[in-house]
Order: sequence, then C-alpha cells, then structure tokens
Amino acid sequence: MSVETAPNQLNVPYLDISDPSFAMQSEELRNARETNWYAKTNYGIAVLRYEEVSKLLKSPKLIQGSAKWPAHNGVHGGLFFEWWTKNLLVLEGEDHHRIRRLLNPAFSPRLIKDLVPRFQALANELIDDFIDGGSCEFIGDFAEPYATRVLTILLGIPESQWPTIARLASTIGLALGVTFKQDLDKVDAAVAELYAYAEDLIKDRQANPGEDFVSRLVLASRDGDTLNDEELRNALVLLIFGGMDTTRNQLGLAMQSFMRNPKQWELLAQRPELGGKAVEEVMRINPTVTWVTREAVEDFTYQGLEIAEGTTVHLFTQASGTDPLAFPNPELDLLGEHPAHYGFGGGVHHCLGHFVARADMSEALPLLASRLANPHLTGGDEWLPDSGNTGPIRLPIGFTKRR
Amino acid sequence: MAQITVDRKLCDNHGQCAIAAPKVFSMNDEGILEFEETFDDALLDEVEEAIDVCPVQAIFVKD
Repeated sequence: MSVETAPNQLNVPYLDISDPSFAMQSEELRNARETNWYAKTNYGIAVLRYEEVSKLLKSPKLIQGSAKWPAHNGVHGGLFFEWWTKNLLVLEGEDHHRIRRLLNPAFSPRLIKDLVPRFQALANELIDDFIDGGSCEFIGDFAEPYATRVLTILLGIPESQWPTIARLASTIGLALGVTFKQDLDKVDAAVAELYAYAEDLIKDRQANPGEDFVSRLVLASRDGDTLNDEELRNALVLLIFGGMDTTRNQLGLAMQSFMRNPKQWELLAQRPELGGKAVEEVMRINPTVTWVTREAVEDFTYQGLEIAEGTTVHLFTQASGTDPLAFPNPELDLLGEHPAHYGFGGGVHHCLGHFVARADMSEALPLLASRLANPHLTGGDEWLPDSGNTGPIRLPIGFTKRR
Repeated sequence: MAQITVDRKLCDNHGQCAIAAPKVFSMNDEGILEFEETFDDALLDEVEEAIDVCPVQAIFVKD
C-alpha cells in the first residue's frame, strides 16, 4: 500500500499543516497520534509517535528535505539561494561530512564550557536592567539580547554590536517564512551585509589568529584539508542564521512552559544544577522546531507503509516528545527520567550548535528562576504560527523580585 | 592499547561518530552503530573528535 492507495486509509488522519491556525498542542493532533503513527498532510506525511520519529530521523533512506525550499517558494537565484544550496543544512554525503568534520572541533563541548562564566554574567546583567520594575517584555528584554550576545561572545566581536547581528539574523530568517518571495530583496540585502561582516572577521583572524572560536575555524584542518574563504563565510552565516532565532524562541517557550508549571519553576530556583534538565524538558514538550523535514531518497517500506522516492516526511518533535507510548507521564518534570527528545533534530543533520544552545540556556533558566518568583503573563503576548519554527514574538510578563 | 566503550543505553545511533572517525565507527544498513573496540594510535585525534561530537556523549576510551 502507499499513502495514496492504503486500503485502510480511512484510518489515516489528515492534518492541514499549512493552515496558520494549525496547532501542535491540540486535541486534533493528540487524536491523530492516538489513531495512527503517521498522518497525511497537504504535502507529504507527518510522523507523530516517538519510536517512529526516532527511527526515521536517522534512516539512511531519508535526506534533508529543505534543499528545495527556495524553489518551492519561487526563488531560483540570488544571494540567499546560492548560500542555501551550499550550506551544511542541505549538503549530503561526503560533501556534508567533509564540512562537518572541519567545523566540529570549534563546537566541542570542552571549549564551550569555558564560556559559561560569560553566559552567567550576561544573564545577570540583562536581569539587573528590569528586575526592579517587577515586569518585562521577556523576548525584547531578555531572550533576544541574550541569544544574540551569546553569538557575539562566540564570534569574539564587541557585544555592543548585537543589535546589528539581531537585525540581520531576523531579516534572513524571513526566508523561512511563507512571505519569502515578497521579502526576497530584503533577505538578499541582509545576506550581502552579513557576508561583508563575516569576510572582515575571517580576514582579521587569518591575520591575527588566537584561541577564539572563529580562529579555530580559520585554522581548522583535517587530513591536509581546510575550509576555504567561501566555506568559512558560509559557516559563519549559518551560525548566525541558525543560532539566534532558535535560541530566542526556545527561551520564550521555556518561560511559557514554566509559567504553566510554577512548582517546577520553584524547584529550578532551589536547585540550579537542574538547569541542564530544564533545557531538555522544555525542548521535549515545547520545542521551537516543531518538525524536522526529510525526503525519501529511494522507495522503501516502513511499518507496512510504502514511501515513494521524493516523498516529504515531516518528523514531529513536540508530538513525539509527548507521545504517551514513550512517555507515560509526559508532563514537564525536572526529576523525571525520560528518553532523549528530538528538538535538535537527529542523525547526520543533528544540530551542529547544540552544545552552545544547551550550555547558554542551561545557565539562563536557573538564574531567571532564582531571581524572578511567580512569573505570569500580563497580556499582549504575540506568537509565531506553530508550523516550522515557533515561539513568542512578544511575551510581557510580571513577577516578584527574589533578589 | 586504548579501548573504546559505548554506553548503549545512551547511544541514540545519530551516527556523528561515524562522520568524525569513519575508520573506527560505522552505521550498518539498519542504522545501528558498529565500531572497532581498539584502534591504531594514529587515529587518536579522530577518535577524540568522535567522543566530543557525540550528541549524547556516549563514547568513552580507557587505557
């Protein structure tokens, strides 16, 4: 049987994932997941359960499904298009592995650990600025400057330049939205500006290499192979493109989850060593990347379903992370022992920057908990749609100052 | 000789180690990790990269 001709297709649920009101955390989706391990969608299938997501995410029969994203949106050229086709996200096979091998050492958890005191100082500085007022707009006052200034720390550029980086990252991020074609000129102009920025940075570190992250990329070599200037530039653009919005959104979603679970927030305030666990738990139940897209590279059969070459396969992260078959108690629980979530994707395309994201968020969350008691919504919050990368655009909150 | 161990309870078969050190780690047709328990000293750097890059930090080396 195939998706189109399954004899029992009446039992296969259908989800319209391009509907702006489509909600991941909904009765519709929970019912679909209870009925079947996958649903049909307006393009391709959606995998809803943990075991199947885990298996298919790492299947050699599936490749990254986002390579054709610009073409799907009627974009066939320009700076973003050219960058996209050459970036690690969409490369496959040895082309991908070679770049990944050269980039990996700079992202080593051992090196990221050295930055922890700076992450802590940054979080405290940002909290100091609003703590006495008893309220803040959590995205503008904390999540966005924190996520972006972490990038400036990593890149070794003055933290005062963070608004430029935030603006360029957000503008390029429009390329992932449904209005990409309309925004193309703006996106390409931002890519050009970021290229110039990255090229200057690379030239500087080539002339004055140090122990910092960009120097490590510039000096990276493996079996006599190195990254050329274009590959270095593309990697820095990927870091900024992939590292800012995601962390900002995930911090906002973490705050949302903890506001719904005040006892867990108190626990985190009492036990800051649970910061790492807090990150894993919010990414399991409330991930910013709500699905990971793959494409079948050949015809194959999985669990009796024939998946034809070229089929788009959406692997649902939030649905899999709260699947009752794998998580009998799926609620946020910092003391629970849960299987790994797929909020960072998985397989060969597993998020490259996850050690950075994990390290910076696992410092920020316990510091926030230890200083802000009883955080709650005060109204006026605005949200991105649930499709693709989600999170709050604005998140006004009130709280009681603890210290 | 240094010996590799993998915590199979932690290992999630992402295969990043097989990218970092393909002479020591590989993924079989089922997508399950296979690896050489001992390795040539010349491969130490690669193995250390594999240990570092493992998303779930499931690889260990002991002398």
